[in-house]
Amino acid sequence: MEYLGEWLWAAHLGRALVALGFVSAMVATVSFVRGDISLGRKAFQTHALSTFAVIALIFVLFFGHRYEFQYIWKHLNNEMPMRFVLSAFWGGQEGGFLLWMFWHNVLALLVLWRADGWQREVMTVLSAIEMFLGVMLLGVYFGDFQLGLDPFMLVRQAPANLGLPWTARADYLTSIPQFADGQGLNPLLQNYWMTIHPPTLFLGFAATSVPFAYAIGALWRRDLTGWIQPALPWSFFGVGILGAGILMGGAWAYEALSFGGFWAWDPVENSSLVPWMVLVAGAHLLLINRNRKEPTALFSTLYLPVLAFLLVLYSTFLTKSGILGDTSVHSFVDSGILPQLLAYLLSFVALGHLMLLRHVETRKAYGGIALASLALVAAGFHALGILAFLAVMAAAAIRAFRRDLKTDAEEDALWSREFWMFVGSLLLVLGAIHITWQTSIPVFNHFLAPFSSVFTWAADLTGWDVMNTLAQHDMAPGTDLDRTYHLVQVPLAVLIFLMIGLTQWLKYKNTDIRTVRTKVLRAYIASAVVTGVLLWTYDFAWHEVPRVALMYATLFAAFSNADYFVQMWKGQLDALGSPLAHVGFALTIFGAVLSTAQKDIISLNRIGDISTLNEELNNNTDLLMMQGDTLPMGPYFVSYKERRQEGIHVLFDMDYYERTPKSYAQGDIVLAEGMVWQALEDHVASPLFDDDVEDRWNFLPFPTKAQTERATRWVNGTPGDLEFTLSPRIQLNARMGNAPEPDTRHFLTRDLYTHIKWGRVTPPETDEEGWLGGQSSSFAVGDSMFVGGVLLTIDSLRVIRDEERADRGLLDDDLALAACLGLRRGRTVEVHDPLYIVRGNTVVPDLYEAEGWGLRFRIDAFNPADETLDMVVWEHQSVRRDFVVMQAVIFPQINWLWIGCILMTLGSFLAVRFRLRQRKTSRRGH
Amino acid sequence: MKRSHLVLLLLVASMMGMFISFITSTSRSVGFDTAFADPGVEYKVSGTLVAAHPVEYDAQVNTNLTKFHLQDKQGDIREVWLQQSKPTGLERSESIDLYGYATAEGHFHATDMLMKCPSKYNEQNHLLETDV
Repeated sequence: MEYLGEWLWAAHLGRALVALGFVSAMVATVSFVRGDISLGRKAFQTHALSTFAVIALIFVLFFGHRYEFQYIWKHLNNEMPMRFVLSAFWGGQEGGFLLWMFWHNVLALLVLWRADGWQREVMTVLSAIEMFLGVMLLGVYFGDFQLGLDPFMLVRQAPANLGLPWTARADYLTSIPQFADGQGLNPLLQNYWMTIHPPTLFLGFAATSVPFAYAIGALWRRDLTGWIQPALPWSFFGVGILGAGILMGGAWAYEALSFGGFWAWDPVENSSLVPWMVLVAGAHLLLINRNRKEPTALFSTLYLPVLAFLLVLYSTFLTKSGILGDTSVHSFVDSGILPQLLAYLLSFVALGHLMLLRHVETRKAYGGIALASLALVAAGFHALGILAFLAVMAAAAIRAFRRDLKTDAEEDALWSREFWMFVGSLLLVLGAIHITWQTSIPVFNHFLAPFSSVFTWAADLTGWDVMNTLAQHDMAPGTDLDRTYHLVQVPLAVLIFLMIGLTQWLKYKNTDIRTVRTKVLRAYIASAVVTGVLLWTYDFAWHEVPRVALMYATLFAAFSNADYFVQMWKGQLDALGSPLAHVGFALTIFGAVLSTAQKDIISLNRIGDISTLNEELNNNTDLLMMQGDTLPMGPYFVSYKERRQEGIHVLFDMDYYERTPKSYAQGDIVLAEGMVWQALEDHVASPLFDDDVEDRWNFLPFPTKAQTERATRWVNGTPGDLEFTLSPRIQLNARMGNAPEPDTRHFLTRDLYTHIKWGRVTPPETDEEGWLGGQSSSFAVGDSMFVGGVLLTIDSLRVIRDEERADRGLLDDDLALAACLGLRRGRTVEVHDPLYIVRGNTVVPDLYEAEGWGLRFRIDAFNPADETLDMVVWEHQSVRRDFVVMQAVIFPQINWLWIGCILMTLGSFLAVRFRLRQRKTSRRGH
Repeated sequence: MKRSHLVLLLLVASMMGMFISFITSTSRSVGFDTAFADPGVEYKVSGTLVAAHPVEYDAQVNTNLTKFHLQDKQGDIREVWLQQSKPTGLERSESIDLYGYATAEGHFHATDMLMKCPSKYNEQNHLLETDV
């Protein structure tokens, strides 16, 4: 059948290009392996061209709004501004893979263009990686097994739609309204951070493959030192870009999502951080060996770049396979490509580890056993087979470490730069291992499953609880971040930063430590002084000693490296990338630690001390704001001005006023903590009432009526000038549910970060007369609550007197009880008394309206035992005021974090440039 | 002290730290039966929101109290009092992890909560399957 209006040619062309890309990558791989460089180059260029063409074609489809294509239909709609087309492109899995391939091709073409002596080996590995990535886009089905995700799949061809009646209509594109518009990009991704964060991160991911390829090439040739020089700039390029990508992710989370911070130790974040840490360690080992005649720690030097790339693959596996499942707050995709992602990962794990072995025979032997263990997977014992496979790989690595890559260089001197660089790198790797371990717990569960009965047996035998835990195989990473991550990461970081501070001053080979001591003395004193100032300024608890130690260490590293930078400055930045990057890294962590440790949630709920309904208000971090009210909040007064809609956002305008001090005169009467107080002397209010209560206020146990009426609520300040307006928003998101987005006010020394925790996006529903749905609550005498702007208190209960009966329409035999309700709005106070009526054996519902207040009451039950009553309260829309629940946090000194990020990235690129120049001069020298 | 000794020392120390952090931080989810057998002791309970019961949240009464019903993995349903303002997307959640303790009054008092929401890359063609 001929379908009308479809761009079927585009689907055919696209699939042909994908297939061409895959085949040409395969040809390139084989040619480079066999040493046919010129054919390999041509094949790879073909591959790169077809990949770029695929990407271009998808953009054509996006711009043409071709909704017959599933990928377009899912990620675009007519409303979406075209400036988000990039985000839409990588909004799905297929686009993510294409973006990765794009950068990978760009880097590989650079390698081709430079054509150094390692071209054959490096291009073999890069082409092989491309081949595997190409498979991810094939979208071929073998029965139910799906190989790859086809970006050119038509909606009518999607497995879910096969056989549905509409797919048999030739004119489905025009006759079915759903095809007039797409589903649209998830609004969460319609954000400028989403246009720059993924490409940077993926460029970083792609960059890890080049050092990997050099290391594999070195192992292949068994030339274990010659690769170091050319691999160095690539490694630092990866460090800089990947680092920037990760931090942009943090910035996105901070600026656009309501996580309440920039780092949450989420699996997604962790799995991009870990490769970076390993790459940094690897790059430093390269530096060590570049400066030596006899190589040292060869195993680590080769293994870390390999590991960094494998961890990138592992990260892809974790986040795209759906294996993290229930254990993360982030959502993960389960797109049915887990088996092939796993195959991809394991293939490169095998390549990386087998190549470590020196002899072809041993490689074959280990490879054979590994393959045999994978046969277990095929036989259905998935976890067992993979476990056996990984054991073989570990054995290969251990063998390489102990025999094949053993170096017998002399031990470095204690005060040599290389020794401390090595120790620092080792610590980074340890940190990476720990993070990987905690992130991988959901994966471990899969491995534990087959041994469940063994652990149960062990638990019975030993009675240990931990055995039961293992037997249940449903462990989850802890939520207590201090124990899960900081317990290990903070001490490691302290050591790392102390080393960063010291090592910069050490020389290669050996240093006279006495000269170094005088050089770091300044940094030592400066950081001690600044730490002292911080301790003086901010409140730190005793259990925060590790944090303070980390701040000290980061300051020491920053001062020391800055000092080095200034001392070595000779008008040229060239060799100074390293101290600059180190200052940046230290400042980043310093800003992160200080702003997180000292974050001040200023939106504490102050309604709590009036309302006696709730006893447990200890962790109230959210503030209820009625429209028009002006409430004190931290150093400000805040007023919720209005709600308005702009496109897909509902904005809540919050005015922030300066707080001017409040003075009280002797004899003033205030209401505080639910009691009445009289001022003993003239004074200016302290921030907290508790600070004043001892000396300045006299408690009035039995206030007179006049005194009560005079009493005002105690405040510690009054609103002054309007300083600024923040508009935290709620994004209307039909697909994902409405999502809050923060609004942040940036100052030089702090950020004020606010977001809406709860807010109405539409007016509430009412009945025909304008009454809102009633709310039922249980009250005792003395309880109070806010209904809109009215403070409702249950003053007393009384029995109706006989003379009142007629007025209230009661029969003689009725039992009736009146609840005396105090209603208070501003200065107006009135008492109303709805009735609880029992006639015979039944309760007569009695609706009572407090006229002029817009409130209605009905008492449904009275419980004599504890003298509580159940009452429904209705509010009329005419008196209702809109309200929101918001949270506001002050992050002090957070700008150091961003300054650090910029310096770190800048420093990394200076290092790349320096190494590139060095390479040129060293080549010329030969 | 030789270089390898120092390195070994660091390795051992950090391995110990990792072990401690792993053992003390890893939590296992239990059913309501376990939690209610042991009121007041903190547990993690996983399950799904029961749509048949409404989610109660009234910011004017208590800004930090959300009440809903959760069905644990064994099928038990209990009322949950979450000590937080109503989390965004609660009604759409696919699964919920609660951290808290059982109370004598019969509800589960949750101090912290994690939700898994439908994937942002949700690949289901809801629209076409149902409407056409």
